[in-house]
Amino acid sequence: MSLWRDIKGTIQPFWVTLRYLFCRPVTICYPEQKQTPAPRYRGRLILTRDPDGEERCVACYLCSAACPVDCISMQATEREDGRRYAAWFRINFSRCIFCGLCTEACPTLAIQMTADYELATRELLQVVYEKDELLIDGCGKNAQYNFYRLAGIGVAAPRGANPGESPPEDIKSNLP
Amino acid sequence: MPTLIIDNLTVTVPEGTNILEAARQLGIEIPHFCHHEALGSVGACRLCAVEILAGPVKGIQMSCMVPAKDDMVVDTCSAEVLAYRAQVIEWLMINHPHDCPVCDEGGECQLQDMTVAGGHGIRRYSGPKRTHQNQNLGPFISHEMNRCIQCYRCVRTYQDYCGGTDFGVLGARQRLYFGRFNDGPLESPFAGNLVDVCPTGVFTDKTYRFKSRLWDLQEAPSICPHCSLGCAVIPGARYRELQRRRARTNKRTNGHFICDRGRFGYGYVNHPDRPRHPLVGHRRVTWQEGLAALQNKLQELGELFGAGSIGLLSSSRATLETQFLTKRWATSLGSDQVCFEAHPVRDQGARVAASQPLDRSASLEDVRNCDLAVLIGADPLSEAPMLALALRQAARRGARIVVADPRPVVLPMACERHAVSTDKLARLLRGLSRPQQSALPASLEELGGSLSQALLSARSPVLIGGTDLLGPQGILALLEAAEACSQPEHPCRTMLLLGGPNSFGGALLSADGPGFDSLLEGMEQGRIKALLCFEADPLADFPDRKRIRAALSRLDLLAVFDCAATATVQEADLFFPTTAVEESTGTLINNEGRMQTFEQVLSAGTPIAESAGGSHPPRFFTRDIPGTDPQPAWGTLGALMGRCADLGALRREIEKADARFAGLSLLDANGEGRRIAIPRSRPVALQPAVANAVAPDQLSLLVTETLFGSELLSSLSPCLQEAIPAPFVMLHPQDAMRLKLEEGKKVTLATPLGDLTLILRIQQDMVPGVAIVPRLRGTALESLVPGSEPLPCRIEKA
Repeated sequence: MSLWRDIKGTIQPFWVTLRYLFCRPVTICYPEQKQTPAPRYRGRLILTRDPDGEERCVACYLCSAACPVDCISMQATEREDGRRYAAWFRINFSRCIFCGLCTEACPTLAIQMTADYELATRELLQVVYEKDELLIDGCGKNAQYNFYRLAGIGVAAPRGANPGESPPEDIKSNLP
Repeated sequence: MPTLIIDNLTVTVPEGTNILEAARQLGIEIPHFCHHEALGSVGACRLCAVEILAGPVKGIQMSCMVPAKDDMVVDTCSAEVLAYRAQVIEWLMINHPHDCPVCDEGGECQLQDMTVAGGHGIRRYSGPKRTHQNQNLGPFISHEMNRCIQCYRCVRTYQDYCGGTDFGVLGARQRLYFGRFNDGPLESPFAGNLVDVCPTGVFTDKTYRFKSRLWDLQEAPSICPHCSLGCAVIPGARYRELQRRRARTNKRTNGHFICDRGRFGYGYVNHPDRPRHPLVGHRRVTWQEGLAALQNKLQELGELFGAGSIGLLSSSRATLETQFLTKRWATSLGSDQVCFEAHPVRDQGARVAASQPLDRSASLEDVRNCDLAVLIGADPLSEAPMLALALRQAARRGARIVVADPRPVVLPMACERHAVSTDKLARLLRGLSRPQQSALPASLEELGGSLSQALLSARSPVLIGGTDLLGPQGILALLEAAEACSQPEHPCRTMLLLGGPNSFGGALLSADGPGFDSLLEGMEQGRIKALLCFEADPLADFPDRKRIRAALSRLDLLAVFDCAATATVQEADLFFPTTAVEESTGTLINNEGRMQTFEQVLSAGTPIAESAGGSHPPRFFTRDIPGTDPQPAWGTLGALMGRCADLGALRREIEKADARFAGLSLLDANGEGRRIAIPRSRPVALQPAVANAVAPDQLSLLVTETLFGSELLSSLSPCLQEAIPAPFVMLHPQDAMRLKLEEGKKVTLATPLGDLTLILRIQQDMVPGVAIVPRLRGTALESLVPGSEPLPCRIEKA
């Protein structure tokens, strides 16, 4: 029995090699030839804008908290109309492991992953992205969501004017 | 002492303890919103439900409302209870704006934690959400009423605990609104506590708005350095910037709360003008060059004029370690010219205060539990704000509070007020030592006598005095009065308000050494050629500014070690940056003789927000972090003396050298601190200072501390600037009428130090014949220092 197994074990690999000699190769000549990644490929991170064209990111620090390699840092600040946004936002792609936990943590759909994987460079600082390099002009994968139109604190719409809200109460009246 | 069973564990608790507190003793935390240890229970949030299986009451009950009884059997997490709590959470979330990403409470929000713990995820109720307009509550507190869950903690804190009257609950049913009647800054000096007690994000710290999340903050147990009470705080820092302070619990001192001066006075640590590099004659040098320059100069002076030509001055801001090493270094230099306070009255006052019998010195806890408090020459809200809050708690329990003061002392509750002028306080104290019965006190002695009688019959009386107004003689008289009013079974305790967070430590170390006035005389006579200031600002703290300026200009060497841009730093020949309290470890001894250590929160460095100019951090790699030069003063002193910078060894050495500091090396920064072992010996009675003659048509000018703007470090804090009042002068209506002056108008105050234009405030509760001005640093009133003899002055229309 063991002799038969040895013979089979010797011939079979050669047979596999021989078979693949006549198949189409899967290797492509990168970079002349490029592969199209899947739509949900986890590549370079971007910051998106809401349908009104405002920055989606509210600098809530959840992505930096979720990041297992601590490659995201930011500082929140406040605009005159009460909108919270990132004064600066930095992702160090030399550290990023493209795990996507930040996009899962993001409550405003601001940080999203793209299919871009071409980040290799000889200059380390070139892969440290600042906010102006991260922020795009579009909505990314979701064209509808606007956090401030759902959170009832009166930034995008006046207080009490978001869907599902009643107008502000008159506290100086006790009428029902 | 009922014994009951909670979750199959048996516990015995004192009578009257509720089930929630009893469970906490077993380490079982029952979820709750409205219950707070300091505020008590109201049963408003319905979250702390437990199932009582056996006992006087059965079924689902609110654990905060049911007192523990014998033979009770409680289940804190039966299936029914968990379902009940999940339901409550879902109700509370009906009107929630779902804005956690932009809420500063996120990460330290009880509602967030409970919602997650209760398993509530998707809002099922489809009706409209109730909304509210917010109010502008001033520079300290942000308001977001849509997040409210109606737990009433804020009203109970603000109105009941802190005695504020301008904030409360409005509306009815589900429209309950917690705010002021109209927009405007919250008036209570304890308003900042709303931030700590609010279980959601209705009240958040405006000075910390959107700066960080709790999980990103560097935090450590620390001590508030803005008055002599030594309240426990937790500062939080991020990106080399101190971003906030919140209250820590120390039941012996502050309890659960802190004042707004402590909470918002942190900004001096990040101040853009803070000197962060060693300077030789305003030229930036390295530490080595600076220390070499200092040592060369000292050696030169020592050889020429002898070691006695070197004076060393520390202050009540310096830690015990710094003060100890200052003294050690003076000894090793061979100089006996060392003192620990630039203000002679405060220095002598602290020396007398440190001699009080420590079993009779009152902690804030003793004040909260007293039944009679007599305040003589003490203005708690200005000199030690948390004392006012402690007095209020005593008053809420029915204690009698008596205030005898020339100033219009404001307390957050009703009290018995006697306007007594400064020079007559001594007569009152004399009367206090001789108990006598008199229904209608005609003279001050008789008032003192009747108070003394009351002190003798009280169960736990406290006698409170301030060093600024009483001076060393007054403090001595107050201690004698307390002795006279003490019964063996219920002693009359004393609480003395001192100048700074470590005045007590300085007083213990100074023994019978010289005061700053004798150093000053030496400087004027040319005996002292060099003055080394360790976190001391003699130029601003010594009452006679002209005299100190002239004396400092005669010096060959003025070396200053400090963490703030003080007036003395501007004059210094050599400057060495030291760390702020939050940037190092150390020990402070508060006004009752309690040693408390604090831990390092952040490393000294220029905040990233400042070094990056508001933009992103720099895009280059470097080993040097900007602004990291500040060193703890004790570390620098150690380096000058050629010792290794080991704090543990230093603390053991202090313990060994002085039995009074026994237990220093065992102190836990998270603990309650430890009273020093033995008081210092009582200094010999001092000659009373010569009072300035006041002509009949003149007023006597009294300078006092005020809540915001008097204390050095907090006055530098940018967040407090809005709360600092415009310079004003207070007059009795009688004097105002005589001088034909009107409230709110500008007046000119003519003093021997120059003319000042101030706004007039008329105050009913003060003594006539006196003009009272607050000490306000950085204003026209800068040069007036409290604790000095009243000056003659005149007031006329501007």
